[in-house]
Amino acid sequence: MELLFVVLLLVLAGVTAGLVGSLTGLGGAVVMIPVLLIGFGTPFPVAAGAGLITVLATSTTTGAAYLRDRLSDLRIGMFLEIATVPGALIGATLTVFLTHADLNSVLLVALGAVLLATIPGALRRGRRDPNAPAHPDARSRRFGLYGSYRNEDGTTVPYRAERTTPALGVAFGAGVASGMFGLGGGVFKVLSMEHYLRLPMKVATATSNFMIGVTAAAGAGVLLAAGYVDPLIAAPAALGTTAGAWLGSRILPGLRNQTVRYLFLPVIALLAIETILRGVGLP
Amino acid sequence: MTDPGPDARVPGSEDRLPPSAYVRMSLVLRVGLLLSLAVFLGALATYLALHPGAVWISSAPDTWLPYLNARGFFAGLAAGSPEAFLTLGIFLLVATPIARVVSGLYYFERGGERAIAAIALTVLTLLLFGLFVLGPLIR
Repeated sequence: MELLFVVLLLVLAGVTAGLVGSLTGLGGAVVMIPVLLIGFGTPFPVAAGAGLITVLATSTTTGAAYLRDRLSDLRIGMFLEIATVPGALIGATLTVFLTHADLNSVLLVALGAVLLATIPGALRRGRRDPNAPAHPDARSRRFGLYGSYRNEDGTTVPYRAERTTPALGVAFGAGVASGMFGLGGGVFKVLSMEHYLRLPMKVATATSNFMIGVTAAAGAGVLLAAGYVDPLIAAPAALGTTAGAWLGSRILPGLRNQTVRYLFLPVIALLAIETILRGVGLP
Repeated sequence: MTDPGPDARVPGSEDRLPPSAYVRMSLVLRVGLLLSLAVFLGALATYLALHPGAVWISSAPDTWLPYLNARGFFAGLAAGSPEAFLTLGIFLLVATPIARVVSGLYYFERGGERAIAAIALTVLTLLLFGLFVLGPLIR
């Protein structure tokens, strides 16, 4: 097939992935990675490398807006990165070793399972009681993991991070998944920040976005230096997903959020199942 | 840092960092992203123009290895090689969040938040370790 045609296809796949990722809140890589593996026959670490580059591009787009609006909690983000970054380094290294050991099937099945696991997270909405008393642990107090944000109605919503140990554990797992499969892993981070740290949904989403970029940079750095980032795949994919994510952010306010999720989540489920089937050797 | 106590109405996180910190970090992200996308567009167009009718190979990452060392990379840039510029776009995109960690480290250190600054320094060290030690080691 001619290179120009494939590059255009990659841009188009990126636009679709960015759009679906933005509308479902799962990120473009969730669609882009299976498409690269199944549709383009890309080797696993190269697909993961391209996925991380798309994650970097899209998370940077939204991350800049969250920072400008001061919704990202830089302290909590930095604190959790102490777990996500080593996780991503280990995940990216594992991908390379498993590929060298000819264990692509393991990677495909694991990726499919992780994709399926993200779906319930996309449907869950935060139900945090802002007036419930906070119980910060010693680590939360030591690192000053508290803050507040201003709501649309002008009220200030305070928060304090609570159970930091399980949150660090989930952050490490999200980092491994990010480095290993080229995903952002934002769903796991947001759930952990809401459930364990008891952060408001908005702060959890914005802070997760802040962390996603740094985590992706860790995994992408390893894969890039190891020679698994192919710019001819990653560049058009990144251009496409950025355009798709931008388009999604324009369309989203006019759509009923939950309806859109119900519409697109089966697509992601199908991609996940197809990835697992490929992994176990079924057509 | 003084802890406000379990029931205190805590001040906003923005109160502990200057507003300029958020503006500058946001600017770092925007500039990094725009630069890398612009480089991608230009280099991709040039590459395709220089390789008309080239055939797609599912992946040929070895093509890019010469641009992963400083000498090959800068020689490629000086020669106007689109491969080197595509690699530059990737480097810019990876470097953008790293620059954000550096900014965070600066602001936390300046604000006297030593504990969180130490974390930022550790994160930065790990990022550089992945890029310059771990990656080349598993190549």
